[in-house]
Amino acid sequence: MKETIYEVFARNNRGDPLAHIGYVDAFDDETAKIHALTTYDEQSWFEMCVVPRAAIIPVDDGEGLFAQLRRASVAREAAR
Amino acid sequence: MSPFTEDELKQKVRDGYMVEGPEDMTEGYRKALRVQLTVQADTELMSAPSYWMAARYAPSTNTQVSAHAIIQDELAHANIAYRLLEDIGESKEHLVYGRQPHEFKHPYGFDQPLDNWAELVVANGFFDRAGITLLGDVYANTSYAPLKRALVKVDMEETFHLRHGEVWMRRLAAAGGEAKEMVQRAVDWMFPMTIEWFGLPDDRKRHSGQLDYRLKGLTNDQLRQRWLSSAVPLCDELGLEAPAHFDEETGEYVLEYPFPCHYDEKEKRWDFEGGEITWDQVFERWKRRGPMNEIYVESVQRSRGDVSRWLNGRAAA
Repeated sequence: MKETIYEVFARNNRGDPLAHIGYVDAFDDETAKIHALTTYDEQSWFEMCVVPRAAIIPVDDGEGLFAQLRRASVAREAAR
Repeated sequence: MSPFTEDELKQKVRDGYMVEGPEDMTEGYRKALRVQLTVQADTELMSAPSYWMAARYAPSTNTQVSAHAIIQDELAHANIAYRLLEDIGESKEHLVYGRQPHEFKHPYGFDQPLDNWAELVVANGFFDRAGITLLGDVYANTSYAPLKRALVKVDMEETFHLRHGEVWMRRLAAAGGEAKEMVQRAVDWMFPMTIEWFGLPDDRKRHSGQLDYRLKGLTNDQLRQRWLSSAVPLCDELGLEAPAHFDEETGEYVLEYPFPCHYDEKEKRWDFEGGEITWDQVFERWKRRGPMNEIYVESVQRSRGDVSRWLNGRAAA
């Protein structure tokens, strides 16, 4: 069963910044929403969003986590 | 490929450098992190069937909900840890579904059956306390930034599990009679079980990279002491006997039984009279795994193959 990685973003209260709080694996957007809700239920979030990891485009090619993960993913694809 | 040598990275993390992703890691760092995350993930995962099978002893529908909320949390924590492992090149599919029961790295305590409500709440009071002790230290000290961020949620929820355990231990102990006896019986086997969980004493500890790479901050004995420093006062307060006391002179908690010692799985009884055994004997027992190991792992893995086969060839497969 092949699942896709979704990053989970949330803000706690109105006015708070949207923060990356974690990740879930899911078959599609709908199940990703459910998995995010049931996995990250430690707070009543004001807002929560899921984003497929593949849709996250690091703006620079620096040392950040998503830039590193993207390069790793590209390297894995190239090795196939 | 890390831009650092092993020694450079060890020095950098000592100076506060946070590792963000696989490219920042040396091979030594990655291996030490992999071991740590695997133990963490397997422990969270195996606590789920253990608690799930015990939740049927819940005395009301409300308590069923609380017990299942804890199980939901544990599965989410496991999933997060396996996800972190994937990001450093491991396969969650293999780790969860491709291993034999004896290959999982959770502590021996989660290979034991929880046979009544008192045992489930003492597991929350003792085992989850061990979880907070270990993961709280990781949260405070880890150099791996994605894990530190993930542990915010985990810490929050483990605190709820602990509170659930303490509230119920208090209620049962205060009732006296059979209720208190049941808690005491659970404490009798689960207290030493948790003590052993923290592993080899520091003077016997083989060198591990986890401290060098600042993947944790405290040693096994320090963590064991930290657990004792809240578990023993709790037992004292509830009038429960625990085989340890605080020594004013040394400023440390002292165990009142031979450590380590044999454990009778059938009777759920530690053999204090049999005296101290070697750690090699403990490792042999851990390696054999406990009575529920195969049942718990099978309960997690059982439907994966079937449903994958049903979905085979479909878009979602």
